[in-house]
Amino acid sequence: MNFVIEHLSKAFEKKQVLKDITFTFDSGKIYGLLGRNGAGKTTLFNCLNRDLKTDGGDFFLQENGERAELAAEDIGYVLSTPTVPEFLTGREFLKFFIDINEKSIADIKDLDEYFSIMNIDEEDRDRLLKDYSHGMKNKMQMLINIIAQPKLLLLDEPLTSLDVVVAEEMKQLLRSLKKDRIIIFSTHIMELALDLCDEIVILNHGELEVVDPSNLDNGGFKDKIIRALKEEEND
Amino acid sequence: MIRTFRISFSLKNTYRVNTILYSLKQIPLIRKILPQSLYRSQGLKIFANILSGLWEIAGTFLGKVLYLLIMVFGLGMLYENTGDGRMFVHILFFLSLVGSYMNTYMFNPSNDKYYAMILMRMDARSYTLTNYAYAVGKCILGFLPFTIWFGVERNIPLWCCLLFPFFIASVKMLIAWNYLVDFKRTGESRDENLPGKLGWILTAVLLAAAYGLPYLGVLLPMWLMAAFMVLSVAAACGAAVYMGRFDEYRTLYQQLLAKFRNGMDYKATVKAAVEEQNRKLISQDTGITSSRKGFEYFNELFVRRHQKILWKSVKRQAVICLFLFVGILFLFQVNEDIRKQINRMLMVFLPYFVFIMYMINRGTSFTQALFMNCDHSMLTYSFYKKPEFILKLFRIRLREIVKVNLLPASVIGVGLPVLLYFSGGTDNPVNYLLLFVSVMAMSAFFSVHYLTCYYLLQPYNAGTEVVGGTYKIVTWATYIVCFLFMNLRMSTLVFGTVVTCFCLIYCVVACIVVYRVAGRTFRIRN
Repeated sequence: MNFVIEHLSKAFEKKQVLKDITFTFDSGKIYGLLGRNGAGKTTLFNCLNRDLKTDGGDFFLQENGERAELAAEDIGYVLSTPTVPEFLTGREFLKFFIDINEKSIADIKDLDEYFSIMNIDEEDRDRLLKDYSHGMKNKMQMLINIIAQPKLLLLDEPLTSLDVVVAEEMKQLLRSLKKDRIIIFSTHIMELALDLCDEIVILNHGELEVVDPSNLDNGGFKDKIIRALKEEEND
Repeated sequence: MIRTFRISFSLKNTYRVNTILYSLKQIPLIRKILPQSLYRSQGLKIFANILSGLWEIAGTFLGKVLYLLIMVFGLGMLYENTGDGRMFVHILFFLSLVGSYMNTYMFNPSNDKYYAMILMRMDARSYTLTNYAYAVGKCILGFLPFTIWFGVERNIPLWCCLLFPFFIASVKMLIAWNYLVDFKRTGESRDENLPGKLGWILTAVLLAAAYGLPYLGVLLPMWLMAAFMVLSVAAACGAAVYMGRFDEYRTLYQQLLAKFRNGMDYKATVKAAVEEQNRKLISQDTGITSSRKGFEYFNELFVRRHQKILWKSVKRQAVICLFLFVGILFLFQVNEDIRKQINRMLMVFLPYFVFIMYMINRGTSFTQALFMNCDHSMLTYSFYKKPEFILKLFRIRLREIVKVNLLPASVIGVGLPVLLYFSGGTDNPVNYLLLFVSVMAMSAFFSVHYLTCYYLLQPYNAGTEVVGGTYKIVTWATYIVCFLFMNLRMSTLVFGTVVTCFCLIYCVVACIVVYRVAGRTFRIRN
């Protein structure tokens, strides 16, 4: 399975944020999306999630050479600021989610089992989500997106504000999830991208390009990425 | 010192100009015309500078005029005037005392102070002294023309009119002096926006003295007020000397402006406050559960955890309405005149109830809570945005909000025909039915209206700000139309029939439209 973007463009007034993006993502990989501040990473995600209208272009899934529309349920989108329905408890949110999606979820587990996957403590499971910490809300959001098993998982700076232990747990989890799906992970932190991602993609001048690590050691690869990101200034 | 003042003034002006340009950029039609580079445009800058100058002048004079006209002379007119203007002096005297600590200027933690003293590291003492002198001067200059103009017109002696602006400034200075001494002693800075319990009690007492005493016919003698004013002005000279010698402004403001340290972002502060307020609406009651499934489960938990703004408040409304009706029924027994008047009113006053039904409808609170505490987060999940789920939840929510609003509506709907009957009845019995049906129809109409607007024009962005211009226009239009209905007098028979038909048709059409397009429109705005 591939996820294909063709000629995607988006401008705000006169500022062209995404310029004719054409790119193919392969399943089974985690893509690290790097870009400087204001490069348009979140805009790209919002367009893919259809929260923003694009000015032109198309994106779709390709399975065995056949083109399939990207349905809403095919996408999971985890935002940097976790958003959860604050009037529900963790357990209630999970129950609601499974209730309405029971037909599309393969092998439904016991609710507590799901909580255990995310290391959410027993006493926290029946608390209102409004009283959850930032990291715990993030875990809940991630959990929902994991159970939904979307073909395309977009993660917008998801680990930045988590403590080291939770961040490490999440990294492990993402690695275990990448089979049969495409994960695009946007971040500012290069070390994180190098540590977690299989491919590094740079959003620069409104275009996507892969940075090829061929024959470079870690330091050399970093330099290459920085050079690619800096290119803007030399224009 | 003059240099410090000049720099601080131009700093204040710069951000005021930028605020004006920013506001212009927010107006829907103008937004399109203005270039991205508007902050660089010389022409626009000059225009905004003129506006900023006008703003400074308006700030000096306009506020004072309005204050005097409304708070002193306007409210003073309500009392029987003795003719010598003493009462106005009495009111202004006490109000000035309130203003002395509620509006000190020096102890107001404002943005311009933060920018200048903390961010730009300007010299705190010269900044404070020059700007304080400017503020005091502005206060005196702003009041003077109007105390003379309005005062002389109302037979207040000229010396008193001349003295008053100086008195107002002097009490402010005395309080500031007191606060500075206090700071020196305790190391704790006051904040005029947080007057504390004592401050509020004092305000209540002073306001009671300002407006209550004249009501009882008690006015302070002129000589007493005059003596106080002269003493206060004289003492203010002492305050000025103390302020000039005070050397801890930097420490003082470091403390007073500490709250800005966590960010100057006004939007973020407002957002956090709004979110916090909405979070508080969620009931902490752990006994609340639901035995339903899926969306019904989701909805029931939402409604039960938001009891405070939904069921509790409509129950209160219903009880109040019930009491009113019983009270009016009781009045019928004691006063024949009222009975006849109410009977007449019930036959032509139905349009008035459009506004009443508008006012008591919980639609806005419901949709706002829906967004802030639920859809704001849920709309980021793709499963929630499936068209069939959106419609399913819309149906449930519609049922819920109609149900909530029907409670007070049914009390009014039953109450009105009962009143009509006991006030002498009517020849045409259809009127009884129409009163009931039209009130119920109006209630349903507003419920449908708000929810439909919410689903079709979903106006909020991810930052929980209202960005949808159309939504704002529709909300305003609804208000204005309902307000205008208050002036309409039409026979209950005609109006009741028309309004019932309209409401029914509207509800049907609205639901059809939602079914057609909500899948596309119900999104978080960008």
